[in-house]
Amino acid sequence: MKYFNIHRAYSIARKEVMHILRDPFTLALALGLPVMLVTFFGYAIDFEVKDINLTISDRDNGTSSRRLKEIFAASGYFHLVEPGQAGPVEMLDSNRASAALFIEPDFSKKIKGGSRAMAQFVLDGSDNSKAAAVMGYLPGIRRAAQIRMAGMPPRERLSAETRFLYNPELNSRWFTVPGLAAIIIGLLAILLTALTVAREWENGSMELLLSTPVRPFEIIAGKLAPYGILVLAGVSFVYLVSRLVFGVPFAGSHLLFLAACLLFITAALSQGLLISVLTRQQQVAMQFSMIGGLLPSMLLSGFIFPVESMPAFFQYLTMLLPPRWFMAAARGITLKGADLGELAVPFLALGLLSAGMLALAIKKFKTDLE
Amino acid sequence: MSGACILEVKGLSIKFGDFTAVDNVSFCVDRGEIFGFLGANGAGKTTTIRMLCGLLAPTSGSALVGGLGFEDGGLGIKKIVGYMSQKFTLYNDLTVGENLDFAAGLRKLEPSYAKKRRKELFELIAFDKPLSSMVSSLPGGIKQELALAVSMLHDPEIIFLDEPTSGVSPASRARFWALIRRITGLGKTVIVTTHYMDEAEQCGRIALMRAGRLIALGSPEELKKSAFSGPMAELDFKGAESSQFISGLEKAGGLLELSPHGMRWHAAFKDKAAMDAALSALPASASAALIKPSLEDVFIRLVEGTER
Repeated sequence: MKYFNIHRAYSIARKEVMHILRDPFTLALALGLPVMLVTFFGYAIDFEVKDINLTISDRDNGTSSRRLKEIFAASGYFHLVEPGQAGPVEMLDSNRASAALFIEPDFSKKIKGGSRAMAQFVLDGSDNSKAAAVMGYLPGIRRAAQIRMAGMPPRERLSAETRFLYNPELNSRWFTVPGLAAIIIGLLAILLTALTVAREWENGSMELLLSTPVRPFEIIAGKLAPYGILVLAGVSFVYLVSRLVFGVPFAGSHLLFLAACLLFITAALSQGLLISVLTRQQQVAMQFSMIGGLLPSMLLSGFIFPVESMPAFFQYLTMLLPPRWFMAAARGITLKGADLGELAVPFLALGLLSAGMLALAIKKFKTDLE
Repeated sequence: MSGACILEVKGLSIKFGDFTAVDNVSFCVDRGEIFGFLGANGAGKTTTIRMLCGLLAPTSGSALVGGLGFEDGGLGIKKIVGYMSQKFTLYNDLTVGENLDFAAGLRKLEPSYAKKRRKELFELIAFDKPLSSMVSSLPGGIKQELALAVSMLHDPEIIFLDEPTSGVSPASRARFWALIRRITGLGKTVIVTTHYMDEAEQCGRIALMRAGRLIALGSPEELKKSAFSGPMAELDFKGAESSQFISGLEKAGGLLELSPHGMRWHAAFKDKAAMDAALSALPASASAALIKPSLEDVFIRLVEGTER
């Protein structure tokens, strides 16, 4: 082979592994980040809202109003707090409660008489994601109350029942944990490669490399391979934890998932290389990686905020970002069991972006050396 | 002529945009020579060396390095030369052995050959620490010697050293130069840049560079002779008022160069008659001694000196 020699690439890769093993920062980042992210998103950050402080102004104090309170308490979402001296509104104002329930004076009487009984539910709207989640619980509670108090389901001419496919309980872990692969690849792959090439420039050891007959391709392959494997190990860790600890289902093909990971890793490693070549300094490379790696994966990929609800400009912008397509593919494969045909668009986009990024990085790297 | 030269450079130039870093440089280096580049920072020494190592492609001109040109993008040259750059190029977080193995891997050396070379080079640089020592734990002078050994692992005929002794102690510098002489004693050719005058004195020939141009070339003795045709005197005023005499001296004819050296002055004259005439006006308490010009005087005259 005239343009590529595997022995030279291997020498570089082996040296890179030694750097990784001896650098506490790289090791800690590579091992610590997946653990930290899984703990954060698996346990600490729960998009389900629970234990909402609910204060109740019961002006009826009858059997039915007490039953209504029990239903709220038994739902598991609410924690009842006594209004005490202050009224319910003051409780809301002072953040001691986030919701208040007002029960009208002859609530029980009306229920007994079969007429329309009223209770007003007041919700603190200052935290709108919380409010939206609580709103979602209300129809279920209302339904439960109707069955228990009137002894029958509401008589409706037309009733729409909602059933969630792929994630029937809307378990947020099922949703977020597969997406963590995107964060890990997006951050680790970009940051680590950005640092490794910049370090070589900063130390002057790039001169040593270049004064030998080594070719740019061999440097790139030798440098990227160990980090690719390291990042893949991080993804495997997240996969195992999500399956074994959180019981997240995996509906699709593992091979397809691996292919998506490899494509995204290629794009991320290339992006890291590009940052490294452009900055040549570890400090600057690190800042660029944080902005160019973490932010798109976190905010513009659909990981937390759905792409569909972004302003039009950002929706178009995300199309240029590999994490968006990887996220779509990862969720499609893990939860829906989608096949390549169904994921043709994300895969095609991911492939094109990866190839483009790699070509750009190699070109810039080569011209930079000459 | 080209038969005797291991390195032959003809009209070599390189431009970065509008800036001409190396301007029409020509010279020839014999096998086994210590060839020095002397010049201020930015004079083009490093750029010249990097071109001759195959790291930079010249804009115009040609060079034959060990008989090879730039036709293949410098790859052939890279295989037959050794290069040690200004910056310390070994990896501090790897051991001595790992650094050597890495260099051997990049140059695709057979393990048995690399091992043999390693032994020879360790003897050459008198390195007696274990292979498993971390490079970061070694003293600066030893690191430089080790970097030299790494650049010579593939047994190159020509070795380029770019300011190899910057930042090491005077004792280590002396050791390193003894090492350079041992290497040329083996028939290798060493091309070295420096801005230490005492190091330049040890070169067989020196190329003086200024602003990308080669302004003088020759052995230290030849350079001194060509720069100063007449005698040179060192003036010591021993605290006496000197400014009036100095300004008179500068106006008088026959003065080639006058430069301060600490408390003293070096004055070079066109010939002995001019010197005697000028020194007759010397204040009584001052003294003058005839000296041989140093390379530093040559450097000041040729590189920094103003034309009179």
